[in-house]
Amino acid sequence: MPEEYLVAQDLHKSFNEHKAVNGVSFAIHKGEIFGLLGPNGAGKTTTIRMLSTVLEPDQGDVTIGGHSMKREADAVRNLIGVCPQELALYVELGALDNLVFFGRMAGLSSQEAKEQAKTHLALVGLEERGKGRIDKFSGGMKRRVNLAVALMGHPELLFLDEPTVGIDPQSRNNIYETIEGLRDKGMTILYTTHYMEEADRLCDRIAIMDGGQIIALDTPHELKAQIGPPEQVTLEDVFLKLTGRSLRD
Amino acid sequence: MVRALQIALLQVRIYLQDKGDLAFSLLLPIVTFALIYGAFGGQTQFHATAHIVNEDSGGTYSKILLEQLDALDELDVELLSLTEADRKLERADLLMVIVIPEDFSDGLVSGEQVQLLFKQRGNAGQEGQIVRALVQSVADDISLGLQVQEQVIAALVDGNTTIHQIETTVERLLDEERENPTVAVAEEAIGSSPDAVNQFLPGIITMYVLFAIMLTARTLVEERQLGTLERLLTTRLSVGQLFAGKFLAGISRGFIQTVILMVLSYAVFQIFTPLSFVSALLVALVFTGAASALGLVLASAVRTPDQATWAGVFITMAMVMISGTFFPIEEGSVMEILSRISINTYANDAFTTLIAEGGSMADLGLEMGVLAGVIVIGLLLSRYLFKAMPGGR
Repeated sequence: MPEEYLVAQDLHKSFNEHKAVNGVSFAIHKGEIFGLLGPNGAGKTTTIRMLSTVLEPDQGDVTIGGHSMKREADAVRNLIGVCPQELALYVELGALDNLVFFGRMAGLSSQEAKEQAKTHLALVGLEERGKGRIDKFSGGMKRRVNLAVALMGHPELLFLDEPTVGIDPQSRNNIYETIEGLRDKGMTILYTTHYMEEADRLCDRIAIMDGGQIIALDTPHELKAQIGPPEQVTLEDVFLKLTGRSLRD
Repeated sequence: MVRALQIALLQVRIYLQDKGDLAFSLLLPIVTFALIYGAFGGQTQFHATAHIVNEDSGGTYSKILLEQLDALDELDVELLSLTEADRKLERADLLMVIVIPEDFSDGLVSGEQVQLLFKQRGNAGQEGQIVRALVQSVADDISLGLQVQEQVIAALVDGNTTIHQIETTVERLLDEERENPTVAVAEEAIGSSPDAVNQFLPGIITMYVLFAIMLTARTLVEERQLGTLERLLTTRLSVGQLFAGKFLAGISRGFIQTVILMVLSYAVFQIFTPLSFVSALLVALVFTGAASALGLVLASAVRTPDQATWAGVFITMAMVMISGTFFPIEEGSVMEILSRISINTYANDAFTTLIAEGGSMADLGLEMGVLAGVIVIGLLLSRYLFKAMPGGR
């Protein structure tokens, strides 16, 4: 029985009258890449914001590494790293400066932050560009710095919210390899994306959300097997069958 | 506290990285100072121009009057034609014109009463009234000289003394009297002088400090839009540390501009003593803190940079307007009660006490207490609002 590192129990979150998340429960095993998929407005980002302590749930709780988010939010923050969908970087500063700053915010000493920053920049292939200002970087380079920042402080659980949006195949491949390498080292990862082939390649298990609820949760192979021979069915087929073909806002 | 300092340092670094922003914000107080210098000429004495229509052209005494007016340090003389003067008065280009009538010299020689005509709009303004008093004084002096001369001639002309000798002697004695008047005037300076620079500088300084409201108000919104705010909230940084950092950053930026302006004023206008300069810096620091705390209140309430900018501009303008920074407020009026809402009022009073009235920190208990109170309440309120607003923590 794999160890459950993150356990979300009956999460609810409403904004005014709109129920963004409506009774979400799932567990992420230690060392796995857990995909959270869903159309726009399904509640993925709200769920991630609750899991990463940014939003407080209206109801329910999350336990990460044995710590309750409601009661021990600070302890939870010591365990997580977040790579948001936006390029959450100070564009006027250099890549290295961004990493060092967020490292300090993660509780590292100045020396530790500098050492980790260099290591992580090397991991995403930017060791030579540490002094370059972020606003001079290409989209792919910014995405890689965005990921490297999330690794500062060596988190045990990493939230990756669409980390490969709008970048070239080379940068995307670098990010895939980085993520797979992190999993191999035992890091637990929650991954959201709209690219189904990406989820199929990276994720050990996938939850599909729609209307604020989880409507399916299994391995990519088992999800595909629900609608046909897994070798002939794509994850996109499963996704469209479960969430429908109607356009979302 | 270390993380709060790191947040503040980050903001300062970003500020220093943006060369355009940096140049603009550092140049702004220098340009403002240059404008003050240009407006007040770096001089602390009254100076104005007397606009005169001389219809007694060629007359001896109109010439003497013009020469004596021109010799005054306080006045420049500009001659106009009557048509030109009337047109300028009509358009309110001028508030007062002095007309020397055609019969001015002849009238004085023949001992008749002559009249200088002051054509003016309304009460001619403060400057006009001073010019009028100066002109009146010179004209009285000429008139008095002539009267003395006539009376002496009347008393002595039947003797052996010639009229020329009498005129020369009277003129010499009057000149001596002017140089060594029987009733002399001495000056004893109490505090520094309430000249134009002293009057306006406190208002200009406080207005600069108030920019901190808008700059601080934008800071959280901009981070929210960038996504860095949310990222920061997932780290070990507490909201209290975040706010403390933003508060310190707001102070440092607003304070730098204020210090530039004050140092230039100190160096050029010599309106400070070393002690009053240090005191004024302390007031500026506390006032910048109050402005930053109010900026944080706005930052916690608004959701877009535009909202932050306009809310900041509105509050800044309202504070400047109701505080009577650039126009006097009557004591006991409703405006005076309203002005107590504005932090600008307290800062302005504090700067005026230090700069124009020669006061010290001991005289600023109320002002410093209110500004410190605004800092505490502002920080607490901003923290509460940040938690209470949708998506807050």
